[in-house]
Amino acid sequence: MHKWSQVMSLAGLFAVSALAGAQETVKIGVIEPLTGSVAYNGLASVNGAKLAVEQRNAAGGVLGRKVELVIEDGQCRPANSVNAAEKLVQRDKVVALSGAFCSSATAAVMPVAEKYKVPFLSGVSSKADLTEKGMQYFFRSAETDRLMSRTFSKILADKLQLKSVAYIGVNDDWGRGGVEDFSKDLEALGVKTVMKEYFDHGATDFYTLLTKLRASKADGVFVAAETQDGSILVKQFKEFGLKTKIFGVGSWATADFIGLTGDASEGIYAAVPYASSLPSERNKAFVELYSKAYKEKPGKYGAAGYNAMNILLDAVARAGKAEPEAIRDALRKTDYAAPNGRYRFTDKGEGYGFDVVLVQISNREPNVVAQSATEKP
Amino acid sequence: MELLPQYLANGLVTGSFYALSALGLTLILGLMRVVNFAHGELYMLGGVMGWWATTRLGLDFFTGLVLVAVVMGAFGWLVDRFLIERIRHQGEEPGILLTIGLSIFLANTALLAVGTAPLKVEAPISAGPMFLGPVVLTKLRVFAVLVCALLIVAAWLVIHKTRLGRAMRATFQDPMAAQLAGVRTANVYAATFAMGTVIASMAGMLLGSIYSAQVAIGGLVSMKAFVVVILGGMGSFAGAVAGGLLLGVVEALWGGYVATGWVDIIGFALVILTLVFRPYGLFSKRAERA
Repeated sequence: MHKWSQVMSLAGLFAVSALAGAQETVKIGVIEPLTGSVAYNGLASVNGAKLAVEQRNAAGGVLGRKVELVIEDGQCRPANSVNAAEKLVQRDKVVALSGAFCSSATAAVMPVAEKYKVPFLSGVSSKADLTEKGMQYFFRSAETDRLMSRTFSKILADKLQLKSVAYIGVNDDWGRGGVEDFSKDLEALGVKTVMKEYFDHGATDFYTLLTKLRASKADGVFVAAETQDGSILVKQFKEFGLKTKIFGVGSWATADFIGLTGDASEGIYAAVPYASSLPSERNKAFVELYSKAYKEKPGKYGAAGYNAMNILLDAVARAGKAEPEAIRDALRKTDYAAPNGRYRFTDKGEGYGFDVVLVQISNREPNVVAQSATEKP
Repeated sequence: MELLPQYLANGLVTGSFYALSALGLTLILGLMRVVNFAHGELYMLGGVMGWWATTRLGLDFFTGLVLVAVVMGAFGWLVDRFLIERIRHQGEEPGILLTIGLSIFLANTALLAVGTAPLKVEAPISAGPMFLGPVVLTKLRVFAVLVCALLIVAAWLVIHKTRLGRAMRATFQDPMAAQLAGVRTANVYAATFAMGTVIASMAGMLLGSIYSAQVAIGGLVSMKAFVVVILGGMGSFAGAVAGGLLLGVVEALWGGYVATGWVDIIGFALVILTLVFRPYGLFSKRAERA
């Protein structure tokens, strides 16, 4: 009996201290798709964010307080993401928001953040015009296609010695945008455009396109596609016996992609914002930490979640108080040393200064060929 | 012009794939008068099971294909006996609603079970290039076209040359008379649906080895299959083959000489033209059923 009451009082003590601890934590809201078609990627991003928080808390937290993540499932849908944001701000009283993965969902959350004057940082959404809406509380630490194209065109033209390039993109805003951006920048460097073709999402047979490609006699072919379409395209490309150099944007150079394409992936180039094989010391430490926690190497989204959370936590520390307004002002002065370069923000909240990399797949591993910091837009 | 042979070859290859993927749909539609909106999902299940059989169970392609056919045949049989049976002879709408519901159920169950990632079905032969004069093909594609032809012929033989096939045709001409003549119509319906399911799933596995199998493909497959069926006419074998080849070749030429970006338009343009000028399809006899 005596023992029992001791246990009870101990438990009570814990409860009280946990409560006290909860009151003192700095709460950050995270909205990511945890179910639905991009759940896998959303989860990777959350894992990255959790890792950043664990690391921070192990080192004493920020402002002497522990950091607590409140994670909501936005499903990549505007309506769900807005609900999540309302809940996080109103009920959980978070001091900053991170998310919401898909550009359309992020665009929907932006006015909510603006209304409640809570800083909102997206580490993934790449639609160019998000930072052009005059929002005062929105920041983005993701690469836009514009930025990728500007940074890579020169490297591509030099490294691959291209004279003429054919462009293939998926038939949507992103694919068409990518083809337009890269062709414009490469043409400015004197690389001739010999073909521009698009294919619909879910297309399975690319032989007609490849026939045209062969007839165009291009030195290189640029491809804007995601894993599924891209892997089939590359497979058929090799079946077709083409030897043109391939380079692309999208979720290339991922383990999934290489698994699907098999040997056909050998030698292709991919322009990606992050690769776990980046040589810097800071990246090696991050990869080790991430691999230990999740038994796999970090990909683009794991790194994006990690970086975005660190940028927010740095801003809280710099602000000196866990108040949204102060954090927003501190975010503007961001100079964050990431595993992949140094992040800074323009006045519009557009991130730049981080590295993007060109990798080549050999022996089923993406190897870094070139690395370059994104310039201020 | 020197690209024309290649475009035609591309079109004929994809066209025969279209024909095979539409065959199960046209059978069920023509013989049973059930508009099977779950057709694409049955195709998808064939691909997913093919992946499972060849990579998880380690079977070779053909053993896997037989396994898929047997399992999916049983599945089709059960679907007819337990689901379609209940709405038989109640007009078209219940059938449409039922198969739409079935398609949603199958797609989401598969999503839960294997996730969204594309799956690789191990191919029976290598996919290296094969040059025939100016035309590039692969052994795998030629092989797949042959298998398509074989399956189509086999299905035709079953329907036109076997006792079961005779019973099927009799049942769908006049169920009452067939029943009076001693045909077990319930079994015939189930066998027809099972056959359609088997053909759809075998197509899914075969084409999964060339492209890749994925859970979300069902809707697209159904769409193309409907285009082929409308072009060729319901229930017509020759129609399915001709409709498939026509769609494949026209898409290839459109993609080759106009733009690959809007290739799906052409299928629907063909459908609209067919519906306006030959509403029963290019090959259908006007009244198949008394």
